[in-house]
Amino acid sequence: MNGETDGWQRLDRRMLLVNPVQEFMKLLPALLGLLVAGTAIGVRGWQLLALVVPVVLGTVRYLTTRYRVADGRVELRRGLLSRRTLAVPVDRVRTVDLTAPPVHRLLGLVTVRIGTGTASSREEDSLDLDGLPVAAARTLRAALLRAGEPADGHRPDDDLLRPDPDRAVRTVLRLDPAWARYAPLTGTGLVLLATVVGGGLQLATTLGIELRLHADDLPGTSLPVAGWLVVLIGLVVTLLVVSALSVAAYLLTSWDLVLSHRPGAWHLVRGLLTTRETTLDDDRVAGAVLHEPLGLRLAGAAHLSAIVTGLDRSRAGSATLVPPAPAAVAAGVGGEVVGTPQPLDVALRTHGPAATRRRWARALGPAVLLAALGVVATLTLPVGIWGVVLAVLALPVAAGLAHDRTRSLGHALVAGHLVARSGSLARSREVLATRHVIGWTLRDTVVQRRAGLVTLTATTAGGDQAVTVPDVPLEAALRLADDAVPGLVSQFLAVPERLPDPPSTRD
Amino acid sequence: MGTATSDLREPHERVCPRARLMWWCTHAIGATVLLAVLVVGVVLTDTLRWWLVPPVAVVLAAYAVAVPQWRYLVHRWEVTATAVYTQTGWWARERRIAPISRVQTVDLEQGAAARVFGLATVTVTTASAAGPLAIPGLDLDVARALVDELTLRADATGPAPGPAPRAAGDDAT
Repeated sequence: MNGETDGWQRLDRRMLLVNPVQEFMKLLPALLGLLVAGTAIGVRGWQLLALVVPVVLGTVRYLTTRYRVADGRVELRRGLLSRRTLAVPVDRVRTVDLTAPPVHRLLGLVTVRIGTGTASSREEDSLDLDGLPVAAARTLRAALLRAGEPADGHRPDDDLLRPDPDRAVRTVLRLDPAWARYAPLTGTGLVLLATVVGGGLQLATTLGIELRLHADDLPGTSLPVAGWLVVLIGLVVTLLVVSALSVAAYLLTSWDLVLSHRPGAWHLVRGLLTTRETTLDDDRVAGAVLHEPLGLRLAGAAHLSAIVTGLDRSRAGSATLVPPAPAAVAAGVGGEVVGTPQPLDVALRTHGPAATRRRWARALGPAVLLAALGVVATLTLPVGIWGVVLAVLALPVAAGLAHDRTRSLGHALVAGHLVARSGSLARSREVLATRHVIGWTLRDTVVQRRAGLVTLTATTAGGDQAVTVPDVPLEAALRLADDAVPGLVSQFLAVPERLPDPPSTRD
Repeated sequence: MGTATSDLREPHERVCPRARLMWWCTHAIGATVLLAVLVVGVVLTDTLRWWLVPPVAVVLAAYAVAVPQWRYLVHRWEVTATAVYTQTGWWARERRIAPISRVQTVDLEQGAAARVFGLATVTVTTASAAGPLAIPGLDLDVARALVDELTLRADATGPAPGPAPRAAGDDAT
């Protein structure tokens, strides 16, 4: 077993320190069980296993893992008994991400994840070189990405991290930590809260603590007021906790975020404890999505992600370019990423009265049903006034949603980009370069057909795999599809000609 | 409404008439199973009543008879020199168009029912996970010929179909 034959190399030696820690974390539940069992039975020395097993496993992993870059391929070989070699042609390499969890950072190591954009998201198919020195990892990344590019001969950088004006590196965005104030307005906080509350309740149940509020325990005689006060305080505390958690999460993932562009690729660095460096080739960036969920929109903020072809679906998160930030900043970066500011700020073409009617019908229908149920419940069941309250609340909320959805709905075709916006609570503006459109789907139900509407979907290889323009008038949909990809749809028109010019002006 | 002066025409080819027969059979089997579950429920529990059975049976029968016919009227397909065009569905109609230059794989698949009726499904995929074009209910020979034709055309016009093609970022010509 010679480490260097045929160019096969081991990972960095310092992984001998990291691997046991990783194995320990992986085996923690089993080891804890073992410890408890061992103590209960009264056998001594079991506890030692908790140290020995991870060290042995980690060492074996180090000794059995090798990689090489040769013959135009990156190869990773691992496994002791069932040996597995993963080979990826260098010209198929689409992304090289460097990730450094805290332990790695202490030792100056990074994990190199080599992405080929395969549709397979199985864990064993991912090519991770877990544990290379930072400098070696950067050299490797430069070599892999350069080889994957057409040979127009721009120089590789060993140090892509620090933007340097001399080398045509352009810094597009530097995170302002003050933007973390937008974090509570996204859904992340709620998810965190649910996790914390869920975990807390589970723990409480396990420990036999009963969470029950007894009205008698509260001081004072005016019990209803005291009860409401408790609820109010509870709400405020919850809000504060959620906000703090989401701000912390925001800073943890986005600390020191720098988005820069060097010839041929976008480069994103971020993270407080675990640092991540993502490189996206220009020709893989198919577009951008400006997310404007209601909370952020009311605060004048938005976040932006890139539509990237060849990112594995399991890593959709790495396409995030701008975390919640002022809307103008997010849109500005979006303009930079797609190469022209127009798709991000152009006024959109609305979908007309039929689409508006459909928005209202779809929002009010369920609300009216809910309201009717509420009224019936109040009349027949012992629910008191709450049924009517539900009815009174449901209708205006539905009307607000319908109004906002109508306002959001729109599309455009500008500067070679298809633009589609829809939604209210989770409104987003999707921008897709027309050369990345690889097919069209026109979907209409019987109801839509009677209204002359169709849901047009442009399929693509990146992001959510599709950009959808909901409830657009049929003729506008066909014109949009034909203008975006000339000649594809027109051959299937009932009258095989170019579509007549629209009555109103176009961009 | 529906005053649009332009619309897509329907694809030229219908699916095999035996597909309708297959759908009738599979729908009938599905409806029978549902009805059997209901009858068992009526026998075993007190909450379900006998008078429920006739209306449910009528609805299921109508579904099993009407939907395959509806489907058969909607399902169509066509392949031109530059594109594949399919129309599927019944209540919700879905028309899909994909340029041949972006076709990555062409699959031929035969389910158990399809084998009984000598039918096959041809699925054309592009680099997008959202855009496979499936043509169910093709005569097996027609399906085989279609797969050959599509494979040839895709080879001639587009980037080579393969396990991990770089077609996604390429420009269509």
